Amino acid sequence: MSDPASDNLRGTLSAKKLVLTGAVLLLATVAVLGACSLVGVISLGDLTPLVWKTRLVRLTVAGVVGAALATAGMALQGLLRNPLAEPYILGISSGAGVGVLFGLAMADWWGALPKWLSGPTLALAGAAVTCGAVYGIAQRRGRLDPYVLLLSGVIVNAFNGAVMLSIYLFVKPYVVSGFMVWAMGNLTDNVSAGMLLTAGACVLAGWAVLLARGAAFNTLGLGDEVAATSGVPVHWLRVETFLVVSLMTAAAVTLAGPVGFVGLIVPHVCRLVVGPDHRRLAVVSALVGAMFLMIADTLCRVVGELLNAGDLPVGVLTALCGGPFFIALLRGRLKEHRR
Amino acid sequence: MTAPQHVLQARALGFEYRPAQPVLRGVDFTAAAGRFTCILGRNGSGKTTLLRCLLGWLRPGAGTILLDGKDIARHSRKALARLLAYVPQFPASTFAFPVRELVLMGRFAHAGALGLAGEQDLAVARLAMEMTHTEEFADRTLDELSGGEAQCVMIARALAQQPSVLLLDEPTSHLDIANQLKIYRMMQRLAHDWEMAVVCVSHDVNLAARFADELVLMRDGEVVASGPPGDVVREDLLARAYDVRVELIARPGDEPPMIWAH
Repeated sequence: MSDPASDNLRGTLSAKKLVLTGAVLLLATVAVLGACSLVGVISLGDLTPLVWKTRLVRLTVAGVVGAALATAGMALQGLLRNPLAEPYILGISSGAGVGVLFGLAMADWWGALPKWLSGPTLALAGAAVTCGAVYGIAQRRGRLDPYVLLLSGVIVNAFNGAVMLSIYLFVKPYVVSGFMVWAMGNLTDNVSAGMLLTAGACVLAGWAVLLARGAAFNTLGLGDEVAATSGVPVHWLRVETFLVVSLMTAAAVTLAGPVGFVGLIVPHVCRLVVGPDHRRLAVVSALVGAMFLMIADTLCRVVGELLNAGDLPVGVLTALCGGPFFIALLRGRLKEHRR
Repeated sequence: MTAPQHVLQARALGFEYRPAQPVLRGVDFTAAAGRFTCILGRNGSGKTTLLRCLLGWLRPGAGTILLDGKDIARHSRKALARLLAYVPQFPASTFAFPVRELVLMGRFAHAGALGLAGEQDLAVARLAMEMTHTEEFADRTLDELSGGEAQCVMIARALAQQPSVLLLDEPTSHLDIANQLKIYRMMQRLAHDWEMAVVCVSHDVNLAARFADELVLMRDGEVVASGPPGDVVREDLLARAYDVRVELIARPGDEPPMIWAH
């Protein structure tokens, strides 16, 4: 028996579709990982297992960082109802960067730090404090103006930059030189397994939380009042999302430095392709983000090898792509407003 | 079989946004299942503030709000959402969802971990869309609909929560007269046939007097008069609430009089 009204509800997101999308993209991600690991100046015949393994680790790091930043950007865009929000633009990445640099500086000044006060912990603290500051500046009685939010992100970013420069003045030059490359957003071959596992676990846990909040982000698009009366704990959702985004950004920054614009470009393009549902977006953005950064890093590595220039920081490439992308989005939004 | 009689009750409600500037002063209010109640009054008389308190969005400084005898502040957000739903003045969605997904968002408080729709959720959404005649736009987004159609979608979304109390904030303020009538008829039908307590903040005294079972007339944060339209629609009471001279023009038969402001 066919019910005509039921046709209207066909196409609604189901668990089966979500799992299927995830499985297909996961296969694609593994394929990209494999393909990227084989690309390079060295011919396939000369590729030693050691080089190949090193590349695989670095690509895995790229995947974790890409997934973390894309998912964090997706969540911020949903939470703030603003397609221009992302960890780098809002200053959360640079906040984590200040944390990491502060850790290095303290180690330089006072010798080895206790283990709990290492880079990752300080990165998380820096990211969380920046998150709170940006939100605190931009909100008024729980309401957020999207442009004030972007502006406060810009200001906090500039402030964090100044803090980093001040720290540079007080540490030995060799500490700074390593940090300069890192601060551009750079993937390296020497990431310890423990660090990768910890960061990966943080990213996976954060991703799971944000996926579970997808329906709440969807409802939030109807306004705070409607969302609250539909059963969304709006204030708690904000706190929780900022904490999770801080954690994921800190993990990404610890691994690769502040890589910009991945959190902007990837969720935006994904939204254009798969629609606005944040549950689907959480799955798609994470895996597309992973693939995006793996490909971008491979590009940087190969170009670096060809030019004999060493590794190009991947953050330079993403910023070169992301800057114009951001401007195009902003112009589009301004045009919409004037209409 | 009779459904349990749901009642939303506010007692001696007081609220102030800034100290010593009360917006609500000892408001008593009752909305019962099966009744369509309209809150009337001038801009700034406290209507919307009252509605926001009833929604649990604002916490009153004084007094209590009871839903079926239990303080609404003691309900969790989800539990409250299963009893009480809200329709905003202006329908809007930041994200370009199709109507069917918007209506299904009303199932947030009922659905499982990911908020994915089950058979039950689809059935409820279908019924809500039938009631509001929104099935035909299932695949369109709010931006592609007229103001009246979009408001019907927001009502369908609220109905998907299966509430016993439905609260609406000036739902017809931007609609043409045909759509105004349609929405008022719909609110009346929801109260009478669906046994809901329907509460609507309104600026249209004529439509409210014609369709509502109860009117609440507010001024300066106080209730001037409340009761069935026959008791509230009086020249002296309306003049006091709105600060204008009001004339009642008799209509033929049982129809309520037309309210004319000078």
